[in-house]
Amino acid sequence: MSSGTRPSSFAEKRNRDSGVPPAAASASSRPRMPTTDGGSFTSKADHQHQHSSRYATTTESHKRSTSGNPRSTSRSVEERRTDKIQVTTREALISRARSPDRRGATAERSSRATDVGGLKQRTADPRTRDVRQEAPPQQEKPAPPPWEPEATLQPHTTAPLASRISIPPLASSAPQPLQPKSLSELSLEAQEAVIIEDLMFVFMGYEGQYIRFAKGYNPFEERDRLSGPTWRILPGLDPSLQDLTLSMLRMATHYTALETFVDVQSREEFGSVNHALCASIRKLLQEYLVMVAQLETQFLTDDAFTMHILNVHILPTSHMMYQLYTLAHEFLKRNALLDDETDESSDSADDFDHILEQLREGGELVPGNMTGKKICKGGVVLGLITKRLESMSGDPAARALLTTLLRDASKPYMAMLNEWLHHGAINDPHSEFLIKEQRSIRRERLEQDYTDEYWERRYTIRDHDVPPQLEGVKDKVLLAGKYLNVVRECGGVDVSLQVKRVPASFDDNRFLDNVNNAYAHANESLMQLLLTTHQLPARLTSLKHYFFLDPSDYFSYFLELGASELRKPVKAVNTGKLQSLLDLVLRQPGSIVSLDPFKEDVKVEMNEITLIKSLQRVVNITGIEQGEALQPLSSNQPIENDKNANGFTSLQLDYSVPFPVSLVISRKTVWRYQALFRYLLSLRYLESQLSTTWQTHTSGFVWSHRSSTRNLEIWKRRVWTLRARMLVFVQQLLFFCTAEVIEPNWQSLMTRVREQEKRDIAAAAPQGQNGDGNDPNCTPSTPRTTRTVDELMQDHVDFLDTCLKECMLTNSKLLRIHSKLMQTCTIFATYTNWLSRELEKADPDLSGANKPPNMTDEQWKHFQSVRSQKPTSNPAVNDASYIDGDSTAGGKPAVSGGPDSARIAELFDVIKKWESNFSRHLQILLDALNHYAATETVVLLSLCARLSTANQGTEYAGLRSDEEGVVV
Amino acid sequence: MPREIITIQAGQCGNSIGSQFWQQLCQEHGISQDGNLEDFATEGGDRKDVFYYQSDDTRYIPRAILIDLEPRVIQSIQTGPYRNIYNPENFFVGKSGVGAGNNWGDGYQTGELVHEEIMEMIDREADGSDSLEGFMVLHSIAGGTGSGLGSFLLERLNDRFPKKIIQTYSVFPDTTNSGDVVVHPYNSMLTMRRLTQNADSVVVLDNGALSHIAADRLHMQEPSFQQTNQLVSTVMSASTTTLRYPGYMHNDLVSILASLIPTPRCHFLMTAYTPFTGDQVEQAKTVRKTTVLDVMRRLLQPKNRMVSTVPGKKSCYISILNVIQGEVDPTDVHKSLLRIRERRLATFIPWGPASIQVALTKRSPYIPMAHRVSGLMLANHTSIATLFKRILRQYDGMRNRNAFLEPYKKTAPFADSLNEFDEAREVVTDLIAEYEAAEDANYLNPDAGEQPTSAEGDKRMG
Repeated sequence: MSSGTRPSSFAEKRNRDSGVPPAAASASSRPRMPTTDGGSFTSKADHQHQHSSRYATTTESHKRSTSGNPRSTSRSVEERRTDKIQVTTREALISRARSPDRRGATAERSSRATDVGGLKQRTADPRTRDVRQEAPPQQEKPAPPPWEPEATLQPHTTAPLASRISIPPLASSAPQPLQPKSLSELSLEAQEAVIIEDLMFVFMGYEGQYIRFAKGYNPFEERDRLSGPTWRILPGLDPSLQDLTLSMLRMATHYTALETFVDVQSREEFGSVNHALCASIRKLLQEYLVMVAQLETQFLTDDAFTMHILNVHILPTSHMMYQLYTLAHEFLKRNALLDDETDESSDSADDFDHILEQLREGGELVPGNMTGKKICKGGVVLGLITKRLESMSGDPAARALLTTLLRDASKPYMAMLNEWLHHGAINDPHSEFLIKEQRSIRRERLEQDYTDEYWERRYTIRDHDVPPQLEGVKDKVLLAGKYLNVVRECGGVDVSLQVKRVPASFDDNRFLDNVNNAYAHANESLMQLLLTTHQLPARLTSLKHYFFLDPSDYFSYFLELGASELRKPVKAVNTGKLQSLLDLVLRQPGSIVSLDPFKEDVKVEMNEITLIKSLQRVVNITGIEQGEALQPLSSNQPIENDKNANGFTSLQLDYSVPFPVSLVISRKTVWRYQALFRYLLSLRYLESQLSTTWQTHTSGFVWSHRSSTRNLEIWKRRVWTLRARMLVFVQQLLFFCTAEVIEPNWQSLMTRVREQEKRDIAAAAPQGQNGDGNDPNCTPSTPRTTRTVDELMQDHVDFLDTCLKECMLTNSKLLRIHSKLMQTCTIFATYTNWLSRELEKADPDLSGANKPPNMTDEQWKHFQSVRSQKPTSNPAVNDASYIDGDSTAGGKPAVSGGPDSARIAELFDVIKKWESNFSRHLQILLDALNHYAATETVVLLSLCARLSTANQGTEYAGLRSDEEGVVV
Repeated sequence: MPREIITIQAGQCGNSIGSQFWQQLCQEHGISQDGNLEDFATEGGDRKDVFYYQSDDTRYIPRAILIDLEPRVIQSIQTGPYRNIYNPENFFVGKSGVGAGNNWGDGYQTGELVHEEIMEMIDREADGSDSLEGFMVLHSIAGGTGSGLGSFLLERLNDRFPKKIIQTYSVFPDTTNSGDVVVHPYNSMLTMRRLTQNADSVVVLDNGALSHIAADRLHMQEPSFQQTNQLVSTVMSASTTTLRYPGYMHNDLVSILASLIPTPRCHFLMTAYTPFTGDQVEQAKTVRKTTVLDVMRRLLQPKNRMVSTVPGKKSCYISILNVIQGEVDPTDVHKSLLRIRERRLATFIPWGPASIQVALTKRSPYIPMAHRVSGLMLANHTSIATLFKRILRQYDGMRNRNAFLEPYKKTAPFADSLNEFDEAREVVTDLIAEYEAAEDANYLNPDAGEQPTSAEGDKRMG
């Protein structure tokens, strides 16, 4: 701080401190003494002389009483300008002495003498003063002889307007000669006069001659000052005055406390609401000082001014001060400034943005700023005032006072609120606004953001800091700004509502309307942006095409084209090739998806973790609520890859969406889509495998040839039936998942989205009309949108979660049984060729070299030609090696060569094992489904009914058929 | 696009049905009589390329091959309102123009003569598709061309396209009265053998049942062929809706057939459709509230079946696929299924999965429908064997008398002997036995019961 700026600010401060200059001047240069005083007074002229001489000889720093004198101030400024260094030192040293008064002249004189002497000494030797200045004034213990009380300037605090004048020494520490005469030596009138005069000082926070700080009070202790000094009256006061004085002293206590309160609370870290509040209180204190000055004038000019008159005059003010004091006291209590209990539960953990910012600014990491006591600011301040206002509503004066305070204090808050509501911006250096912004969360992170961090954490509500006026609409406030931000970020379109007159404070009745209107506007803007500009419904439909395979025709074709690639082990799959195949399929004219405008956004990828595994890992995370349970795990964990994973099991689609839509179609939801997709894909792949098996069984010669061996025919029937069971199982499951789970849920989701769309269109018309010129605040008749973007997002996630749940993907037990069943079916399907070969070997008609009698020449010729081609055309070798590697999974004994009957018996064994394996697992699944249908998911009951048909005709079916009334 | 289906219509009956079918399809897809898309039908949502391809001038051309040995029906198509949609190269009319004279042998031997030309057409169509799924053959089994030439084609198709699915819509003769073709039992028997051995699935349409339905449902005492053909084309279009309006499931022929036909030989499907509306007939437009349950229950009623059978005590369903069109709440479907089960409206095979599948599909937006819900049932029912038995009985009756055999002996297949007849009979009896065995609870383990089938003497060709 430069010394050049100091004088003016210093002067100003002093003025403020000591009250209004004229009043102070009149108080100090009060010429007239009450006549009732005895002869203990000096003459008027003498007194006057003293003053003038003091003005002449002392500097402005000399006396409190003169400090406000305009004349002296101007002089001192002049003087300072001539010698800046001296001024600096001088202004740091302000001594204080008693003003002249009605007391004995001797004491006055002696004090004057010491004063002057001291001053001279000091001016003569500035260096010593410099040294002294360095020592904090609080520690300065005035040595008993000579008493040199000094006022110094304190270093700047973060409160720019706080008083910087050091605290005067205690009167009790004044040397004996300065102590006044005992009260008991004075007459009643004199007592009243000195007490009134003392009261004038005391009202301004200083000790008087007879009214002193109580013993326990230490003015150097901030806590003491904050709670206000207690006063004690020197003994000897007449009881008639005592009570009145005591009652008036309370106001003085309040004043000092408030002054300190203002100083403390206007520090920077308390935030702008506190600053505004302090400014408001300070204005009231100013008026208070004016009143004190006026009272003093009256006291000096009006003979009839008595203690009682004084009391009557200060009564309303006293009341006001009391109100202010109790309010301040509540703040202090909340701030824990009064007691030392430190509450460490502050949310410093998630406030790391703030810390980062501070570090970036090179700011000092003041420990108190972060881990220190919780400072009540912003909304809490407003909340406290409001609470107080409510409890005081019966008191008109207090009410008016608190209303004023609330209005003033809420102004900066309302400015922030309006900025947020109408422009989506936050300018909140003191973090007092109810919305917290995490700037470190960028929207670019949406791409890999599985947790919706951007949407959920970029802007959050500070739950403890919400002013009660906003409590009911805080979500609306949050959403309004959030939506505006989204709209702004994605289009640059300025959608800020041009509001002409915004309410400036909380007592404005329109402020709730303001919030509601802003919210409605923001919601509409974003909804319109999403639904119309960014075609959210079309997006969702497109997602349905790709992930739920709604028209699955394109996908079967894709699987067919890519089969050679997808059959490879997952590591060997060429994703680029698959991608180009998918693109090819999607661009085929004639299919429904080729009309989809978003087909560019679909990407093929390989996920090496099998669906069941990844789902199981997700499901097995316990202790997390259902909604959150479906976060994918971070991929850096070691993952043991499934050895059998091939392209079909690992294929998944990815879908990228541009920004605003990606709020709804976030990674979190895409993950769910992918899970559903992979599930449907696995079912569909199994279905197509079984269909291929069906085709082999239907048209393959070995199968359709009616063997002469009867047992083989029976064996074939069993294979066919098992295939039929599996096919029924897969198709019923697929039907259930699509027609009974996905489609109805999807329809209800779309109905809700469309409703919104309709409403938006309806709302857009009137909005456009009153948007120009009319104040939207005055038209609360704008259609209230009942649904928000957040609800929409929630609906979307709920939809997916419901689908996952009803498709049995969230229950680890069901998943396990289900995957077992799928595995059984897959093994069966993959062994079709093997079975065909074994059948051929086992059938004597076909394995023999001679034409069996039950075959025509033509057929035999045909068969022979096929058989001769086989080693080259059929990938028999591959299949054989696959079977060998997988024989454990199949649980199938290698059928060795041998007599036909043995062969056939072994074939029977194999099919029997598969049959029982499938039926048993299906039965377990059915039992489990029944259980969960009864306890959790009712829709599973329908699946249960469907799947039970697949098991009919087996030994397991009988168990259930009675209770369900199934007709076989 | 994938999964194309080539339609081959053979003979008088096949072509009449076919022309109705294409007319129906064109209307459903909003394709005008010259093959262009109507203005109102540009929205999409359907797949036309299963049955059509687009020519260079963006007209939609049916993947259809029209074969007949006599020119009458084909000529009427070529002069009819939809004459322009067909590819003119896909018409085949017998050179002599005299037809097969209701003689299976004649049709079959003509097939031998002209098969190069026909196969070339089929090859051309097959090459024109990206991923051919199969063939749909429309014919009747009673006449000469449809049965004889049709049989020949079935054999050739199976040879030529072993991996493709062959589905036939075969019109069976009215067994209750002799009709206009006296020798229909012969023709039927001979064709039945090919249907059993060379087709993957046969949708049986019984002329007798069709005229019953026309009489009962549409209140027409003397239904014309055109009217019964309309019934057939309705059934055909309904059974292909899942292919043409793809949804989640049943978007290709395999997935429809695989569950319907668990055992390969039992692949004769019967159909039922409700509610029928005759466009021409006012009385048929009864006011009715259609619900899923209502539709599904009606579908199970024998009087709505397009096959007249005499179900025995043990007759049962092997599988059912209900194609429900219209706006349907899936929960209704579930409720209906439960109700059907509770009321025991459908009996299933005791040894296998009781599979009632439901496919929910959209309806064409371009044809106003009087009913909210309509449904088609494709079912595999063992009672179909009774139809075969009747044919067998009639065949035996004629064969034992050696009646009307002379014309057959003149044709190539019977030049050496009448073995062809005997082989066909054997196949059909085996088929009947197979169906009857399927009614037995011990089907999978017949040793526990009595001997179900004679395993001997069957010749089956893949």
